[in-house]
Amino acid sequence: MIAIKDTEIGFGTSLFSIPAMDFDQGKVHILMGKNGIGKSALLNTLSGLISPIKGTITLDGISLPDYSYKHLAKKMAYVRSDVKGVPFLTVDAFLLLGRYHYKSFLRKHSAEDYAQIQKAKELFGIAHLTEKFTNELSSGELHLCAIAKAYVQQTDYILLDEPTSHLDYANKRKVYELLGEIAKNHNKGIIISTHDLDLAFKFPFDFYLIESQMQSLKRIKGFNEVEKEFSNCI
Amino acid sequence: MNLKRSNKVLLLLVSFGILVLALLGLLIGDIPTDCLDVYHSIFSYSEDNLSELIVREIRLPRVCMALMAGAALSIAGMLMQTLFQNPLAGPYVLGINSGASLMVALGILSGTGFLSSEFGLIGSALIGAFIFGLFILFTASFLRNQIGLLLFGVMLGSFVSAIITILELSSESESLKAFTLWSMGSLNGVTIEQLPIIFLVFFLGCIVALFIVNPLNILVLGEEECRMMGYNVKRLRLLIVFVTALFTGLITAFCGPIAFIGLAIPNLTRMLFKTQDHMLLLLANLLFGALFLLSCDLLIQLLSDFILIPINALTSLIGAPFVIYILIRKIR
Repeated sequence: MIAIKDTEIGFGTSLFSIPAMDFDQGKVHILMGKNGIGKSALLNTLSGLISPIKGTITLDGISLPDYSYKHLAKKMAYVRSDVKGVPFLTVDAFLLLGRYHYKSFLRKHSAEDYAQIQKAKELFGIAHLTEKFTNELSSGELHLCAIAKAYVQQTDYILLDEPTSHLDYANKRKVYELLGEIAKNHNKGIIISTHDLDLAFKFPFDFYLIESQMQSLKRIKGFNEVEKEFSNCI
Repeated sequence: MNLKRSNKVLLLLVSFGILVLALLGLLIGDIPTDCLDVYHSIFSYSEDNLSELIVREIRLPRVCMALMAGAALSIAGMLMQTLFQNPLAGPYVLGINSGASLMVALGILSGTGFLSSEFGLIGSALIGAFIFGLFILFTASFLRNQIGLLLFGVMLGSFVSAIITILELSSESESLKAFTLWSMGSLNGVTIEQLPIIFLVFFLGCIVALFIVNPLNILVLGEEECRMMGYNVKRLRLLIVFVTALFTGLITAFCGPIAFIGLAIPNLTRMLFKTQDHMLLLLANLLFGALFLLSCDLLIQLLSDFILIPINALTSLIGAPFVIYILIRKIR
Protein backbone atom coordinates (compact mmCIF):
# COMPACT_ATOMS: atom_id res chain seq x y z
CA MET A 1 0.00 0.00 0.00
CA ILE A 2 1.17 3.50 -0.82
CA ALA A 3 0.15 5.75 2.05
CA ILE A 4 0.27 9.55 1.75
CA LYS A 5 -0.41 11.84 4.71
CA ASP A 6 -0.33 15.64 5.11
CA THR A 7 1.78 16.01 2.01
CA GLU A 8 2.34 18.82 -0.45
CA ILE A 9 3.33 17.96 -4.00
CA GLY A 10 5.09 20.02 -6.66
CA PHE A 11 8.23 20.71 -8.66
CA GLY A 12 10.09 23.07 -6.33
CA THR A 13 6.95 24.93 -5.26
CA SER A 14 3.78 23.36 -3.94
CA LEU A 15 1.06 22.67 -6.52
CA PHE A 16 -1.50 20.88 -4.38
CA SER A 17 -1.87 19.08 -1.08
CA ILE A 18 -2.96 15.61 -0.05
CA PRO A 19 -4.45 15.48 3.47
CA ALA A 20 -4.58 11.67 3.45
CA MET A 21 -4.79 9.08 0.68
CA ASP A 22 -3.99 5.39 0.27
CA PHE A 23 -3.41 3.49 -2.95
CA ASP A 24 -3.96 -0.25 -2.53
CA GLN A 25 -2.51 -3.14 -4.44
CA GLY A 26 -4.83 -5.20 -6.66
CA LYS A 27 -6.54 -2.13 -8.11
CA VAL A 28 -6.21 0.42 -10.89
CA HIS A 29 -6.27 4.00 -9.67
CA ILE A 30 -7.13 6.68 -12.20
CA LEU A 31 -5.76 10.16 -11.56
CA MET A 32 -7.49 13.10 -13.22
CA GLY A 33 -7.14 16.83 -13.24
CA LYS A 34 -6.54 19.84 -15.44
CA ASN A 35 -3.34 20.43 -17.37
CA GLY A 36 -0.54 21.63 -15.14
CA ILE A 37 -2.41 20.81 -11.93
CA GLY A 38 0.32 18.42 -10.79
CA LYS A 39 -0.53 14.90 -11.99
CA SER A 40 3.02 14.30 -13.27
CA ALA A 41 4.43 15.91 -10.13
CA LEU A 42 2.53 13.40 -8.01
CA LEU A 43 3.71 10.43 -10.11
CA ASN A 44 7.31 11.72 -10.07
CA THR A 45 7.07 12.04 -6.30
CA LEU A 46 5.67 8.53 -5.87
CA SER A 47 8.43 7.12 -8.07
CA GLY A 48 11.04 8.80 -5.89
CA LEU A 49 12.40 11.02 -8.69
CA ILE A 50 11.49 14.16 -6.72
CA SER A 51 10.75 14.67 -3.03
CA PRO A 52 7.45 15.96 -1.70
CA ILE A 53 7.53 19.63 -0.68
CA LYS A 54 6.14 18.64 2.72
CA GLY A 55 5.23 15.41 4.44
CA THR A 56 6.19 11.79 3.91
CA ILE A 57 5.02 8.94 1.74
CA THR A 58 5.30 5.33 2.83
CA LEU A 59 5.46 2.34 0.54
CA ASP A 60 4.45 -0.93 2.22
CA GLY A 61 5.16 0.60 5.60
CA ILE A 62 8.61 1.96 4.79
CA SER A 63 9.20 5.64 4.14
CA LEU A 64 10.08 6.29 0.47
CA PRO A 65 13.49 7.95 1.08
CA ASP A 66 14.55 4.90 3.13
CA TYR A 67 14.45 2.66 0.08
CA SER A 68 17.72 2.04 -1.74
CA TYR A 69 17.62 2.76 -5.51
CA LYS A 70 17.91 -0.96 -6.26
CA HIS A 71 15.15 -1.95 -3.84
CA LEU A 72 12.80 0.72 -5.19
CA ALA A 73 13.40 -0.49 -8.77
CA LYS A 74 12.10 -3.91 -7.70
CA LYS A 75 9.05 -2.34 -6.07
CA MET A 76 7.92 0.24 -8.60
CA ALA A 77 7.96 0.80 -12.34
CA TYR A 78 7.18 4.17 -13.92
CA VAL A 79 6.20 4.90 -17.51
CA ARG A 80 6.83 8.59 -18.13
CA SER A 81 4.78 10.56 -20.63
CA ASP A 82 7.81 11.47 -22.76
CA VAL A 83 9.07 8.10 -23.93
CA LYS A 84 11.67 8.57 -26.63
CA GLY A 85 13.03 6.20 -29.21
CA VAL A 86 16.77 5.63 -29.41
CA PRO A 87 18.64 4.87 -32.66
CA PHE A 88 19.95 1.30 -32.94
CA LEU A 89 18.07 0.20 -29.82
CA THR A 90 15.77 -2.68 -30.84
CA VAL A 91 12.44 -3.30 -29.15
CA ASP A 92 13.88 -6.52 -27.69
CA ALA A 93 16.90 -4.72 -26.25
CA PHE A 94 14.58 -1.99 -24.96
CA LEU A 95 12.38 -4.52 -23.14
CA LEU A 96 15.44 -6.29 -21.71
CA LEU A 97 16.43 -2.98 -20.08
CA GLY A 98 13.36 -3.53 -17.88
CA ARG A 99 15.14 -6.56 -16.39
CA TYR A 100 18.36 -4.81 -15.42
CA HIS A 101 17.44 -4.60 -11.74
CA TYR A 102 17.89 -8.38 -11.72
CA LYS A 103 21.03 -8.41 -13.87
CA SER A 104 24.33 -8.52 -12.06
CA PHE A 105 27.62 -7.29 -13.41
CA LEU A 106 28.82 -9.13 -16.55
CA ARG A 107 26.18 -11.85 -16.14
CA LYS A 108 24.05 -12.76 -19.12
CA HIS A 109 20.30 -12.33 -19.04
CA SER A 110 18.52 -15.34 -17.59
CA ALA A 111 15.93 -17.57 -19.26
CA GLU A 112 13.41 -15.94 -16.92
CA ASP A 113 14.25 -12.54 -18.41
CA TYR A 114 13.58 -13.78 -21.95
CA ALA A 115 10.39 -15.56 -20.87
CA GLN A 116 9.10 -12.32 -19.32
CA ILE A 117 9.72 -10.20 -22.40
CA GLN A 118 8.20 -12.88 -24.63
CA LYS A 119 5.07 -12.85 -22.49
CA ALA A 120 4.93 -9.05 -22.45
CA LYS A 121 5.25 -8.89 -26.24
CA GLU A 122 2.32 -11.25 -26.68
CA LEU A 123 0.18 -9.48 -24.06
CA PHE A 124 0.64 -6.04 -25.57
CA GLY A 125 0.60 -7.20 -29.18
CA ILE A 126 4.04 -5.93 -30.11
CA ALA A 127 5.67 -9.25 -31.08
CA HIS A 128 5.91 -8.11 -34.71
CA LEU A 129 8.10 -5.14 -33.68
CA THR A 130 10.83 -7.27 -32.02
CA GLU A 131 13.72 -6.38 -34.31
CA LYS A 132 12.63 -2.81 -35.09
CA PHE A 133 14.66 0.13 -33.79
CA THR A 134 12.78 2.14 -31.20
CA ASN A 135 13.34 5.46 -33.00
CA GLU A 136 11.53 4.06 -36.04
CA LEU A 137 8.32 3.24 -34.17
CA SER A 138 5.22 5.41 -34.16
CA SER A 139 4.69 7.16 -30.84
CA GLY A 140 1.74 4.84 -30.16
CA GLU A 141 3.85 1.73 -30.74
CA LEU A 142 6.61 3.23 -28.63
CA HIS A 143 4.22 3.80 -25.73
CA LEU A 144 2.95 0.24 -25.94
CA CYS A 145 6.59 -0.91 -25.72
CA ALA A 146 7.21 1.35 -22.73
CA ILE A 147 4.16 -0.10 -20.93
CA ALA A 148 5.38 -3.59 -21.79
CA LYS A 149 8.80 -2.69 -20.37
CA ALA A 150 7.16 -1.61 -17.09
CA TYR A 151 5.26 -4.91 -17.02
CA VAL A 152 8.50 -6.83 -17.60
CA GLN A 153 9.99 -5.14 -14.56
CA GLN A 154 7.58 -7.28 -12.44
CA THR A 155 7.04 -4.76 -9.68
CA ASP A 156 4.26 -4.51 -7.09
CA TYR A 157 3.37 -1.03 -8.32
CA ILE A 158 3.24 0.52 -11.79
CA LEU A 159 2.85 4.25 -12.36
CA LEU A 160 1.85 5.49 -15.80
CA ASP A 161 1.79 9.16 -16.86
CA GLU A 162 -0.79 9.62 -19.63
CA PRO A 163 0.10 6.28 -21.21
CA THR A 164 -2.80 6.25 -23.63
CA SER A 165 -2.62 9.77 -25.07
CA HIS A 166 -0.77 8.58 -28.20
CA LEU A 167 -2.78 5.40 -28.77
CA ASP A 168 -5.66 4.76 -31.15
CA TYR A 169 -9.04 3.92 -29.63
CA ALA A 170 -8.66 0.14 -29.91
CA ASN A 171 -5.26 0.21 -28.24
CA LYS A 172 -6.49 2.59 -25.52
CA ARG A 173 -9.24 0.08 -24.68
CA LYS A 174 -6.81 -2.79 -24.78
CA VAL A 175 -4.33 -1.07 -22.46
CA TYR A 176 -7.02 -0.28 -19.87
CA GLU A 177 -8.39 -3.82 -20.05
CA LEU A 178 -4.94 -5.36 -19.74
CA LEU A 179 -3.89 -3.13 -16.85
CA GLY A 180 -7.16 -3.95 -15.10
CA GLU A 181 -6.50 -7.66 -15.48
CA ILE A 182 -2.87 -7.37 -14.44
CA ALA A 183 -3.83 -5.42 -11.32
CA LYS A 184 -6.46 -7.98 -10.34
CA ASN A 185 -4.72 -11.22 -11.27
CA HIS A 186 -1.23 -10.32 -10.09
CA ASN A 187 -2.26 -8.10 -7.17
CA LYS A 188 -0.46 -5.02 -8.46
CA GLY A 189 -1.19 -1.42 -7.58
CA ILE A 190 -1.47 0.59 -10.79
CA ILE A 191 -1.80 4.38 -10.86
CA ILE A 192 -2.60 6.02 -14.17
CA SER A 193 -2.93 9.71 -14.94
CA THR A 194 -5.14 10.37 -17.93
CA HIS A 195 -7.38 12.75 -19.84
CA ASP A 196 -9.36 9.89 -21.45
CA LEU A 197 -12.23 10.36 -19.00
CA ASP A 198 -15.06 8.83 -21.05
CA LEU A 199 -13.16 5.63 -21.63
CA ALA A 200 -11.72 5.28 -18.14
CA PHE A 201 -15.11 5.55 -16.50
CA LYS A 202 -16.30 2.46 -18.40
CA PHE A 203 -14.00 0.37 -16.23
CA PRO A 204 -14.45 -0.59 -12.57
CA PHE A 205 -11.46 1.45 -11.43
CA ASP A 206 -10.94 3.84 -8.51
CA PHE A 207 -11.01 7.49 -9.49
CA TYR A 208 -9.24 10.50 -8.05
CA LEU A 209 -9.34 14.15 -8.95
CA ILE A 210 -6.88 16.91 -8.21
CA GLU A 211 -9.33 19.71 -7.65
CA SER A 212 -8.24 23.13 -8.84
CA GLN A 213 -10.27 25.23 -6.38
CA MET A 214 -9.23 23.42 -3.20
CA GLN A 215 -5.89 22.49 -4.70
CA SER A 216 -6.11 19.06 -3.17
CA LEU A 217 -6.51 15.41 -4.15
CA LYS A 218 -9.82 13.73 -3.47
CA ARG A 219 -11.47 10.44 -4.24
CA ILE A 220 -14.50 10.71 -6.52
CA LYS A 221 -17.34 8.34 -7.30
CA GLY A 222 -18.90 9.35 -10.56
CA PHE A 223 -18.39 11.18 -13.82
CA ASN A 224 -20.56 14.14 -12.76
CA GLU A 225 -18.00 15.22 -10.17
CA VAL A 226 -15.33 15.46 -12.85
CA GLU A 227 -17.67 17.29 -15.17
CA LYS A 228 -18.12 19.99 -12.55
CA GLU A 229 -14.35 20.44 -12.28
CA PHE A 230 -13.86 20.84 -16.01
CA SER A 231 -16.91 23.05 -16.63
CA ASN A 232 -15.73 25.42 -13.91
CA CYS A 233 -13.01 26.71 -16.21
CA ILE A 234 -13.16 30.43 -16.54
CA MET B 1 26.81 -10.44 -24.82
CA ASN B 2 25.24 -12.47 -27.58
CA LEU B 3 27.15 -11.73 -30.73
CA LYS B 4 25.64 -12.02 -34.16
CA ARG B 5 27.72 -13.91 -36.67
CA SER B 6 28.39 -10.83 -38.81
CA ASN B 7 29.54 -8.90 -35.74
CA LYS B 8 31.91 -11.68 -34.74
CA VAL B 9 33.43 -11.73 -38.22
CA LEU B 10 33.80 -7.96 -38.17
CA LEU B 11 35.54 -7.96 -34.78
CA LEU B 12 37.86 -10.79 -35.83
CA LEU B 13 38.72 -8.98 -39.06
CA VAL B 14 39.58 -5.81 -37.18
CA SER B 15 41.70 -7.71 -34.65
CA PHE B 16 43.55 -9.38 -37.50
CA GLY B 17 43.99 -6.03 -39.21
CA ILE B 18 45.50 -4.60 -36.04
CA LEU B 19 48.04 -7.44 -35.85
CA VAL B 20 49.08 -7.02 -39.48
CA LEU B 21 49.31 -3.23 -39.33
CA ALA B 22 51.18 -3.33 -36.02
CA LEU B 23 53.76 -5.65 -37.56
CA LEU B 24 53.99 -3.38 -40.61
CA GLY B 25 54.43 -0.42 -38.28
CA LEU B 26 57.41 -2.17 -36.71
CA LEU B 27 58.91 -3.10 -40.08
CA ILE B 28 58.46 0.04 -42.15
CA GLY B 29 60.77 3.03 -41.86
CA ASP B 30 63.93 4.66 -43.18
CA ILE B 31 66.13 1.84 -41.90
CA PRO B 32 65.04 -1.50 -43.36
CA THR B 33 64.34 -4.22 -40.79
CA ASP B 34 62.95 -7.73 -41.06
CA CYS B 35 60.76 -9.90 -38.86
CA LEU B 36 63.77 -11.44 -37.17
CA ASP B 37 64.94 -8.01 -35.97
CA VAL B 38 61.46 -7.37 -34.59
CA TYR B 39 61.49 -10.73 -32.79
CA HIS B 40 64.96 -10.11 -31.33
CA SER B 41 64.19 -6.54 -30.30
CA ILE B 42 61.32 -7.78 -28.16
CA PHE B 43 62.57 -11.10 -26.80
CA SER B 44 66.38 -11.02 -26.94
CA TYR B 45 67.31 -7.38 -27.28
CA SER B 46 70.89 -6.22 -27.72
CA GLU B 47 71.72 -2.51 -27.90
CA ASP B 48 74.57 -3.04 -30.35
CA ASN B 49 72.33 -3.99 -33.25
CA LEU B 50 71.10 -0.79 -34.93
CA SER B 51 67.96 -2.38 -36.43
CA GLU B 52 66.92 -3.83 -33.11
CA LEU B 53 67.62 -0.52 -31.39
CA ILE B 54 65.40 1.34 -33.83
CA VAL B 55 62.56 -1.15 -33.56
CA ARG B 56 62.66 -1.20 -29.77
CA GLU B 57 63.37 2.45 -28.97
CA ILE B 58 61.44 4.19 -31.73
CA ARG B 59 58.92 2.02 -33.54
CA LEU B 60 57.62 -0.14 -30.70
CA PRO B 61 56.68 2.81 -28.45
CA ARG B 62 55.11 4.59 -31.43
CA VAL B 63 52.98 1.61 -32.45
CA CYS B 64 51.91 0.89 -28.86
CA MET B 65 51.05 4.55 -28.38
CA ALA B 66 48.99 4.61 -31.58
CA LEU B 67 47.03 1.57 -30.38
CA MET B 68 46.37 2.93 -26.91
CA ALA B 69 45.65 6.51 -27.99
CA GLY B 70 43.18 5.42 -30.66
CA ALA B 71 41.40 3.05 -28.29
CA ALA B 72 41.36 5.45 -25.34
CA LEU B 73 40.03 8.45 -27.30
CA SER B 74 37.33 6.35 -28.97
CA ILE B 75 36.13 4.93 -25.66
CA ALA B 76 36.17 8.44 -24.16
CA GLY B 77 34.04 9.64 -27.08
CA MET B 78 31.58 6.79 -26.66
CA LEU B 79 31.20 7.61 -22.95
CA MET B 80 30.61 11.31 -23.66
CA GLN B 81 28.03 10.53 -26.34
CA THR B 82 26.10 8.22 -24.04
CA LEU B 83 26.36 10.57 -21.07
CA PHE B 84 25.05 13.58 -22.97
CA GLN B 85 22.81 11.50 -25.27
CA ASN B 86 24.36 13.43 -28.10
CA PRO B 87 26.01 11.77 -31.11
CA LEU B 88 28.12 14.88 -31.70
CA ALA B 89 29.73 14.91 -28.26
CA GLY B 90 33.34 13.93 -27.77
CA PRO B 91 36.30 14.85 -25.62
CA TYR B 92 37.65 17.23 -28.27
CA VAL B 93 34.48 19.11 -29.23
CA LEU B 94 33.37 19.43 -25.61
CA GLY B 95 36.69 21.03 -24.74
CA ILE B 96 38.07 18.39 -22.35
CA ASN B 97 41.23 18.41 -24.46
CA SER B 98 41.38 22.15 -23.89
CA GLY B 99 41.68 21.60 -20.16
CA ALA B 100 44.67 19.35 -20.67
CA SER B 101 46.13 21.66 -23.33
CA LEU B 102 45.89 24.68 -21.07
CA MET B 103 47.81 22.94 -18.30
CA VAL B 104 50.44 21.62 -20.70
CA ALA B 105 50.83 25.12 -22.20
CA LEU B 106 51.28 26.58 -18.74
CA GLY B 107 53.89 23.93 -18.04
CA ILE B 108 55.93 24.12 -21.22
CA LEU B 109 55.60 27.84 -21.96
CA SER B 110 56.24 29.11 -18.48
CA GLY B 111 59.14 26.68 -18.49
CA THR B 112 59.47 26.72 -14.74
CA GLY B 113 59.87 24.18 -12.01
CA PHE B 114 57.56 21.32 -11.25
CA LEU B 115 55.00 21.97 -13.99
CA SER B 116 57.45 21.47 -16.85
CA SER B 117 58.86 18.23 -15.47
CA GLU B 118 57.59 15.05 -17.08
CA PHE B 119 55.58 13.98 -14.07
CA GLY B 120 54.23 17.47 -13.51
CA LEU B 121 53.16 17.73 -17.14
CA ILE B 122 51.15 14.50 -17.07
CA GLY B 123 49.68 15.16 -13.67
CA SER B 124 48.60 18.66 -14.56
CA ALA B 125 47.15 17.50 -17.91
CA LEU B 126 45.03 14.93 -16.05
CA ILE B 127 43.88 17.52 -13.52
CA GLY B 128 43.10 20.02 -16.28
CA ALA B 129 41.05 17.45 -18.18
CA PHE B 130 39.17 16.43 -15.05
CA ILE B 131 38.36 20.00 -14.03
CA PHE B 132 37.08 20.84 -17.51
CA GLY B 133 35.08 17.58 -17.52
CA LEU B 134 33.38 18.56 -14.26
CA PHE B 135 32.83 22.06 -15.65
CA ILE B 136 31.02 20.62 -18.69
CA LEU B 137 29.03 18.22 -16.50
CA PHE B 138 27.96 21.15 -14.35
CA THR B 139 27.01 23.22 -17.39
CA ALA B 140 25.07 20.30 -18.88
CA SER B 141 22.92 20.11 -15.75
CA PHE B 142 21.20 23.36 -16.64
CA LEU B 143 22.02 23.66 -20.37
CA ARG B 144 19.71 20.88 -21.52
CA ASN B 145 19.98 21.81 -25.19
CA GLN B 146 22.25 19.52 -27.24
CA ILE B 147 23.53 22.15 -29.65
CA GLY B 148 23.96 24.60 -26.76
CA LEU B 149 26.29 22.21 -24.98
CA LEU B 150 28.40 21.68 -28.11
CA LEU B 151 28.65 25.44 -28.63
CA PHE B 152 29.70 25.75 -25.01
CA GLY B 153 32.49 23.26 -25.69
CA VAL B 154 33.60 25.21 -28.75
CA MET B 155 33.58 28.46 -26.76
CA LEU B 156 35.63 26.80 -24.03
CA GLY B 157 38.12 25.77 -26.72
CA SER B 158 38.35 29.31 -28.15
CA PHE B 159 38.77 30.79 -24.70
CA VAL B 160 41.62 28.45 -23.90
CA SER B 161 43.34 28.95 -27.24
CA ALA B 162 43.19 32.71 -26.65
CA ILE B 163 44.97 32.26 -23.33
CA ILE B 164 47.50 29.95 -24.98
CA THR B 165 48.20 32.55 -27.69
CA ILE B 166 48.96 35.14 -25.04
CA LEU B 167 51.24 32.68 -23.28
CA GLU B 168 52.99 31.91 -26.58
CA LEU B 169 53.71 35.56 -27.31
CA SER B 170 55.46 36.07 -24.02
CA SER B 171 57.49 32.88 -24.00
CA GLU B 172 61.05 31.95 -24.97
CA SER B 173 61.60 30.77 -28.54
CA GLU B 174 62.94 27.42 -27.31
CA SER B 175 59.84 26.51 -25.30
CA LEU B 176 57.61 28.02 -28.00
CA LYS B 177 59.01 25.55 -30.50
CA ALA B 178 58.56 22.65 -28.10
CA PHE B 179 54.96 23.63 -27.49
CA THR B 180 54.14 24.13 -31.17
CA LEU B 181 55.51 20.68 -31.97
CA TRP B 182 53.50 19.20 -29.10
CA SER B 183 50.29 20.89 -30.29
CA MET B 184 50.62 19.32 -33.75
CA GLY B 185 50.32 15.94 -32.10
CA SER B 186 52.93 13.23 -32.30
CA LEU B 187 53.14 9.59 -31.39
CA ASN B 188 56.95 9.73 -31.35
CA GLY B 189 57.37 11.46 -28.03
CA VAL B 190 56.98 8.34 -25.91
CA THR B 191 59.93 6.27 -24.73
CA ILE B 192 59.84 2.56 -24.06
CA GLU B 193 60.39 3.19 -20.35
CA GLN B 194 57.18 5.23 -20.20
CA LEU B 195 55.04 2.56 -21.85
CA PRO B 196 54.25 0.43 -18.75
CA ILE B 197 52.90 3.36 -16.76
CA ILE B 198 50.84 4.58 -19.72
CA PHE B 199 49.48 1.08 -20.19
CA LEU B 200 48.62 0.85 -16.51
CA VAL B 201 46.59 4.07 -16.60
CA PHE B 202 44.94 2.99 -19.85
CA PHE B 203 44.09 -0.41 -18.36
CA LEU B 204 42.62 1.21 -15.25
CA GLY B 205 40.34 3.36 -17.42
CA CYS B 206 39.20 0.32 -19.41
CA ILE B 207 38.37 -1.58 -16.21
CA VAL B 208 36.27 1.28 -14.89
CA ALA B 209 34.50 1.56 -18.26
CA LEU B 210 33.83 -2.19 -18.21
CA PHE B 211 32.45 -1.87 -14.71
CA ILE B 212 29.75 0.61 -15.79
CA VAL B 213 28.46 -1.07 -18.99
CA ASN B 214 25.14 -2.06 -17.36
CA PRO B 215 24.10 1.44 -16.30
CA LEU B 216 25.45 2.82 -19.61
CA ASN B 217 22.98 0.60 -21.46
CA ILE B 218 20.11 2.20 -19.56
CA LEU B 219 21.58 5.70 -19.67
CA VAL B 220 20.71 5.87 -23.40
CA LEU B 221 17.07 6.16 -22.24
CA GLY B 222 17.91 9.13 -20.01
CA GLU B 223 19.16 9.78 -16.51
CA GLU B 224 15.75 9.39 -14.87
CA GLU B 225 15.25 5.92 -16.37
CA CYS B 226 18.71 4.95 -15.17
CA ARG B 227 17.92 6.19 -11.68
CA MET B 228 14.60 4.36 -11.64
CA MET B 229 16.25 1.08 -12.59
CA GLY B 230 18.21 1.36 -9.38
CA TYR B 231 21.49 2.97 -10.42
CA ASN B 232 23.19 5.86 -8.70
CA VAL B 233 23.27 8.35 -11.55
CA LYS B 234 25.39 10.97 -9.78
CA ARG B 235 28.14 8.43 -9.17
CA LEU B 236 27.79 7.13 -12.72
CA ARG B 237 28.24 10.63 -14.17
CA LEU B 238 31.34 11.20 -12.08
CA LEU B 239 32.80 7.85 -13.12
CA ILE B 240 32.21 8.66 -16.79
CA VAL B 241 33.89 12.04 -16.43
CA PHE B 242 36.72 10.38 -14.50
CA VAL B 243 37.43 7.83 -17.24
CA THR B 244 37.08 10.40 -20.01
CA ALA B 245 39.44 12.80 -18.26
CA LEU B 246 41.89 10.02 -17.49
CA PHE B 247 42.04 8.94 -21.12
CA THR B 248 42.01 12.40 -22.63
CA GLY B 249 44.51 13.84 -20.17
CA LEU B 250 46.87 10.89 -20.57
CA ILE B 251 46.84 10.90 -24.35
CA THR B 252 46.95 14.69 -24.64
CA ALA B 253 49.94 14.90 -22.32
CA PHE B 254 51.95 12.33 -24.29
CA CYS B 255 50.75 12.84 -27.87
CA GLY B 256 49.32 16.34 -27.98
CA PRO B 257 45.73 17.13 -28.89
CA ILE B 258 44.39 14.52 -31.33
CA ALA B 259 41.11 15.61 -32.85
CA PHE B 260 38.01 13.85 -34.11
CA ILE B 261 38.83 10.24 -33.21
CA GLY B 262 36.62 10.49 -30.14
CA LEU B 263 33.82 11.84 -32.29
CA ALA B 264 34.11 9.79 -35.48
CA ILE B 265 34.94 6.27 -34.25
CA PRO B 266 32.06 5.89 -31.74
CA ASN B 267 29.61 7.02 -34.42
CA LEU B 268 31.18 4.64 -36.92
CA THR B 269 30.92 1.67 -34.54
CA ARG B 270 27.31 2.41 -33.61
CA MET B 271 26.48 2.59 -37.33
CA LEU B 272 28.36 -0.61 -38.20
CA PHE B 273 27.15 -2.76 -35.32
CA LYS B 274 23.68 -1.18 -35.07
CA THR B 275 23.51 -1.70 -31.34
CA GLN B 276 23.34 0.13 -28.02
CA ASP B 277 24.90 -2.77 -26.12
CA HIS B 278 27.81 -1.00 -24.47
CA MET B 279 29.75 -4.18 -23.86
CA LEU B 280 29.94 -4.69 -27.61
CA LEU B 281 30.44 -0.96 -28.24
CA LEU B 282 33.29 -0.84 -25.73
CA LEU B 283 35.07 -3.69 -27.47
CA ALA B 284 34.32 -2.27 -30.91
CA ASN B 285 35.60 1.20 -30.00
CA LEU B 286 38.71 -0.26 -28.45
CA LEU B 287 39.53 -2.22 -31.61
CA PHE B 288 38.37 0.26 -34.25
CA GLY B 289 40.00 3.21 -32.49
CA ALA B 290 43.28 1.34 -32.24
CA LEU B 291 43.09 0.25 -35.87
CA PHE B 292 42.21 3.73 -37.09
CA LEU B 293 45.05 5.57 -35.39
CA LEU B 294 47.48 2.82 -36.30
CA SER B 295 46.49 3.18 -39.98
CA CYS B 296 46.86 6.95 -39.75
CA ASP B 297 50.33 6.53 -38.29
CA LEU B 298 51.31 4.02 -40.97
CA LEU B 299 50.06 6.37 -43.68
CA ILE B 300 52.18 9.16 -42.20
CA GLN B 301 55.25 6.90 -42.19
CA LEU B 302 54.65 5.86 -45.81
CA LEU B 303 54.21 9.45 -46.96
CA SER B 304 57.09 10.80 -44.88
CA ASP B 305 59.47 10.76 -47.86
CA PHE B 306 57.24 13.19 -49.73
CA ILE B 307 55.47 15.19 -47.09
CA LEU B 308 55.46 15.45 -43.28
CA ILE B 309 51.97 15.30 -41.80
CA PRO B 310 51.36 15.79 -38.08
CA ILE B 311 48.97 13.19 -36.68
CA ASN B 312 46.49 15.82 -35.51
CA ALA B 313 46.26 17.20 -39.06
CA LEU B 314 45.62 13.77 -40.57
CA THR B 315 42.88 12.75 -38.11
CA SER B 316 41.19 16.11 -38.73
CA LEU B 317 41.47 15.71 -42.51
CA ILE B 318 39.68 12.35 -42.29
CA GLY B 319 37.48 13.03 -39.26
CA ALA B 320 35.97 16.41 -40.18
CA PRO B 321 34.36 15.26 -43.47
CA PHE B 322 33.02 12.17 -41.69
CA VAL B 323 31.40 14.31 -39.00
CA ILE B 324 29.87 16.54 -41.69
CA TYR B 325 28.47 13.35 -43.27
CA ILE B 326 26.90 12.36 -39.93
CA LEU B 327 25.43 15.86 -39.55
CA ILE B 328 23.83 15.75 -42.98
CA ARG B 329 22.46 12.24 -42.36
CA LYS B 330 21.01 13.36 -39.04
CA ILE B 331 19.37 16.49 -40.40
CA ARG B 332 17.78 14.66 -43.33
